[in-house]
Parts: sequence; C-alpha cells; structure tokens
Amino acid sequence: MNTPVYLDYAATTPVDPRVAAVMAECLTAQGTFGNAGSGHSFGDEANSVIEAARAQVAEAVGALPAEVIFTSGATEANNLSIFGVANYSRPLGQHIVAVRTEHKAVLDPCRELERRGWRVTYLVPRGDGVVDPAQVAAALRADTVLVCVMHVNNEIGVIQDVAAIAAVCAEHGGARLHVDAAQSAGKHAIDFAAIGCDLMALSAHKVYGPKGVGALLVSQRRAVHLEALHHGGGQERGLRSGTLPTHQIAGMGEAFKLSRSAAAAEGARAALLRQRLWRGLSALGGVLRNGDEANSVPQILNASFEDVEGESLLAAVGPHIAVSAGAACASAVREPSYVLRALGRDDRLAESSLRFSLGRFTEERDIDLAVTAVTEAVTRLRKIGGA
Amino acid sequence: MNYSNLTQRYFDGASALAGVLSGPHTFRGGAGSRAQGTWIQFDLRVDPGEARTIQAARFLAYACPHIIAAAAWMTEAAVGRSASAAPPESAQGLRERFAIPVEKLGRLLIVEDAWSAAVKACMGSAAG
Repeated sequence: MNTPVYLDYAATTPVDPRVAAVMAECLTAQGTFGNAGSGHSFGDEANSVIEAARAQVAEAVGALPAEVIFTSGATEANNLSIFGVANYSRPLGQHIVAVRTEHKAVLDPCRELERRGWRVTYLVPRGDGVVDPAQVAAALRADTVLVCVMHVNNEIGVIQDVAAIAAVCAEHGGARLHVDAAQSAGKHAIDFAAIGCDLMALSAHKVYGPKGVGALLVSQRRAVHLEALHHGGGQERGLRSGTLPTHQIAGMGEAFKLSRSAAAAEGARAALLRQRLWRGLSALGGVLRNGDEANSVPQILNASFEDVEGESLLAAVGPHIAVSAGAACASAVREPSYVLRALGRDDRLAESSLRFSLGRFTEERDIDLAVTAVTEAVTRLRKIGGA
Repeated sequence: MNYSNLTQRYFDGASALAGVLSGPHTFRGGAGSRAQGTWIQFDLRVDPGEARTIQAARFLAYACPHIIAAAAWMTEAAVGRSASAAPPESAQGLRERFAIPVEKLGRLLIVEDAWSAAVKACMGSAAG
C-alpha cells in the first residue's frame, strides 16, 4: 500500500533537515553536549548555543530574548502561563475569561482552576469562528486577572484579532492576556511587542522543529509576574527549572529562524494550494466550509460533508490521505469536535468534517490526490446512505 | 481506529450490496435515524410461495464502518434464507464476527431492528 499523502501539518510537521543538522551538533562527544548550567567550557558552549537560539526565537516573534522561557512544548507553556498567573494573582481576583474554541491545553487548565474555586467565563465565537473584542470587554469583571485567546485556531485556522483584544485588556488594567500561538509560527506573522499581550505560548514541532520543546513569552515591558509550577535548579529565570535540552532548543531556534524567512513565500504558495483544494472539494456539492475564509491562515481548510457519516468518511479516505477528523476518539464512539459545535455546526456535520492542513512539502499533486480520494469516498458513502 | 480484516473487506465492498429494490414481493424495513448517527434500511424480495425465501436483498446505511460492514454482510447472507427464519446473525453474533467494540452494541441493535422491520413487513404481507 502506498503511504498516504500527509495533509496534517497542523498536528505536527516533519523536522526540516536543516534543523535536524543543527540538533545533531548538540548530541555527541564531538558536539555541544555540555550542561548549560555547568561552569566550564562545555557548559559555556552549550549556554552560547541556547542563548543564540533564544535570540533566534525572540527575533522571529518580535520579542526580547529575555522574554523567552523555554518549556517542553506549548502545552506546558499554556499551563505555566495560566496556573502561573492564577497563583500569583490570586489576591487580586479569581476570574478568567477564555474562548470556547481554545485548545485543550488552555481549556483543561481553566477547568482545573474552576475545580479549585475560580470562575471562568467561556466566550462563544461568532459562526465564522471570530471572537469580537467587544465580547471580551463585556466579559471582563473587576476581579478578572487573566484572558486567554488563541491566535490561530488549530481546527479551523481562524485568526483572532489579539492586538485589539490586548487593547481591551490594557484598558481594563488588571487582566493579563495570554495568547496560545502554537499554530501561528510559520503560518501568520507574530509580533509579540506590537500585539501588546502579556504572555504567549509557542511550539517548535508545528513549524518543522522538534517535538518536546516550546516556549512561553513573558512580557518584560508589561512587567508580568507569575509563579513557577515546579522547582529545582532555577533555570529560565526560575520559571522553568530543569536542565535545558540544548539540542531541542537549538532546533527550535533554527526552525523559527527558517520559518521567519520562508513564511511569506510559503503562505502565498499554501493559499494557491488551498484554493485548488477547495475548488475540487466544493465541486462535490453539499460541502460546507468551517471558519472565516478571509480571516484564516492559508495552510488550513476545514470542511463538513453533508450526508456522510464521519467515522466512515475518515476510514474511507484514510488509506489515501492523512488528515484530521472533526471528532475525537475518546473511546470507540467518537465525540464531535467541540470547536465546530461552538460555531453552531450540528453533531453530524461536526463529525463529518475533515481538517486539511498544508505545509512546506505539500505539492499540487498531493492536493489533486486528496480531491480524488475525498470525492470517491463521499460519492461512495452517499450511495450507501441513499443520499 | 483499527478494523478487522472482515470489517474492512465488507466496508470496502459495501457499494455492491447497497441500494433499493422495487417491484412485486419486495418489502422494506428500517431503523435508527441520521440525526442520531445511525440509520439502516433493508429491502428484501421474497418468493411469493409459502417459504418466503429471500431472492434478493439490498441495504442502505448512514453509519460507521463497523455497522456498514455488518449490514452488508447481513444483506449478502440473507439470500436463499427464509424470511420467517431467524436473522442471519444476532447483534451479539455480528459484534463477535466483526470484532466490533462493545460500545457499539446499541448500533448493532439498530441493524437487528431494521432487519426485523423488513421481515415484519414481509410476513405481514404474507398473513394478509
């Protein structure tokens, strides 16, 4: 059987060979294998690599190097931000605002805080997935200490106007804005300083870097304070103790450097590919696009297919293309996507959705193959269903 | 999700058994609903004689691969059987045959209900 065409770059990306080469230099006895915390030349060398990577990440996202706190990934960065702010700000208030369509890495910490007595207001986006900054303003209370709004939605690719939301939070005065930007790097320009948010989570593996590393940006200009979640060693300004993984961090730095230089060209290419994909899929009829087309990153297309059952659709296309479905397999019986349900899709349409996410290595022939595979599968399943 | 070889085979080949029948001595029964996520319909054409032997069968399904495979197998296995006999396989039997997770037993009961509805239509006609 042929390997399916990979169209799931929003889930993860392969490591760019240039990134892998940089990482390999930090592993063996001939490379930069030292502990960055050691006070000898091996440690100094590792520390130099890490600081260079920190500068690369910072430059790619418009932050100061000192604002970059390396973590094990975006999930940890989101947890550090949410629990860190909550723990530090508890005397000031115990109210958080989050969006219903956030990633679980944000929603689950919010739910945990609710169990601990916090109040969380969940905003429901418009039908096109966009959150109006006025919704955030209306949800803010005197005791609100944190607002969580993701930059680019992982399922539908919709971009939120986080700068406008940051302005709303700044006007409030007491509410910090945390932005999950795990999907943004390489897909949409990030300027941490210009956005004016307080905290931002980043991931390396979404942008052709390694898994197991990410970062939390903590604004120095805005004097953000948060409590560490674990202790021991005091690395990363005391916010994330633990020996720094030089190879992972070096890989993230290189990946972000490459993404910055390639973003414009890759975005333009992805826009053409996505247009070709949508043209092919919509010819089927009964195909509904999820999310605001004009206000989404060009690498992601999410569509629901009428009159086909979701699991059967995924099973039918699975041998040909690797895509994500609009349902989660928590057990043998799938749960429809909470993101699509929040946008007003009914359970059946949420289940019968597919997320196509394009990337650096996607070619026209991959798109054509995907259109053929989906067309054949939907046509067959509609025939079986008598539609 | 991983499917058994038999499930995969009947899911892949389901189109050949899908459809509707028309004409004399053709009876239809269905169960479930699309809104609930599983809907099955069987069409049976039977010998007008006493035995009510099933001469042809077709099915339609809006369902997951396990249920499509099970319904397709029922359709194939039906031909040559008497409509008055027990169904080709019970819900539990289908679950075991296709290695279907126990969480889907409720969906298999819809297959059984659809079959029963088609047989009832057929036997009701015979009684009339």
